[in-house]
Amino acid sequence: MIDKYIYDYFAKFVFEKTGIFYPEKDYYRLDSRINKLISEYQCKDAKEVYDKFQTHRSTDMEQFLINICTNNETYFFRDDKPFKALTEDILPNLQKQYPGASLSIWSCASSTGQEPLSVIMSILEKFNSTIRFSFDATDISTTALAKAKKGKYTNLDVQRGLPITLLVKYFESVDGGDWQAKPEILSKVKYSEFNLFSTNFPINKYHVIFCRNVLIYQDSKNKAQILEKLAKALVPGGYLVMGAGESLIGTGVNLEQVTLSGSMVFQSALL
Amino acid sequence: MRVLLVDDSNSIAMVVGQMLTDVGHEVLRAKHGQEAVDMLTADNKVDVILLDWNMPEMDGLEFLKYNMEKKLVSCPIIMMTTENKPEKIVMALQNGAKEYIMKPFTQDILVSKINSVTAA
Repeated sequence: MIDKYIYDYFAKFVFEKTGIFYPEKDYYRLDSRINKLISEYQCKDAKEVYDKFQTHRSTDMEQFLINICTNNETYFFRDDKPFKALTEDILPNLQKQYPGASLSIWSCASSTGQEPLSVIMSILEKFNSTIRFSFDATDISTTALAKAKKGKYTNLDVQRGLPITLLVKYFESVDGGDWQAKPEILSKVKYSEFNLFSTNFPINKYHVIFCRNVLIYQDSKNKAQILEKLAKALVPGGYLVMGAGESLIGTGVNLEQVTLSGSMVFQSALL
Repeated sequence: MRVLLVDDSNSIAMVVGQMLTDVGHEVLRAKHGQEAVDMLTADNKVDVILLDWNMPEMDGLEFLKYNMEKKLVSCPIIMMTTENKPEKIVMALQNGAKEYIMKPFTQDILVSKINSVTAA
């Protein structure tokens, strides 16, 4: 049994660091996280880990909590439709609008790398090497980023969403039944740590930003603030791709909603 | 959907049968390739075939080759096997398998692979 003041404390800390909001009715979702913290830092109970966290926590301890609180559920080609919209509509539109330019893409909560690699495989399958692009991928979780950078996935990871033809084309079988993403896809992604909740948004402007199933964990005020910053990080006519069912309703963000290949995406004003 | 499971292992048949009936599929079973051929010759109305590789009498690859030649069924065939070397996977695809499930797997993987080949 964990005392309410301990839940209150950790919920507030996580909210302030990540924007992820645990209302009181969802405090049970903190149980496994607090238990992992207890075990990792060899404390005897929640009270001891709370005392340690409050009085002399290290940055490692903070990052550990952030890593286990950020939702890393992901799989290859999640929801499918946005990848079709990207290659059938978004990139061809941008090529017309920015002839000859290298198109910049940002996956702003890239987790363990399935989304960036899915995007890159989609692009290579459709355009081969006839399109120039750069790809930035960021995440708040250092453990997720470490896995993404390695590009090594288990037998189960590669069977979630990834068609078998793409598995044998873009991955190599390695010891122990794992699969390693080949350099031709992995080397195209530049991974770095970034907190969407941060005030230091990138100065770069992007043609396409993927921000899918991330803001559902934020309260409406934070959601609006993050979306405002993402909208500013788009080039004129650039696209924001969100998760299925996510929208800008109630955020006041000024992007146009367009449906492309059955996927709802959001476009910034053209020049 | 009507799913034909071709696998000599009773425990796999039990687990896969449960996974698929849970989500509303009907599951038929053949213990090897030859039994599948006999069943499909009598009635080939199945929506998808799950095919093990290593089986007695007629193995999975022999079944694929037989089907390519005789055009017994046109429904998608998914290999479901412990064989997970890329060259084996490519061989199965070249011989008519449409998807490939590597054991071990979970229910969500099985169901989504079936959905992906039957939706196309």
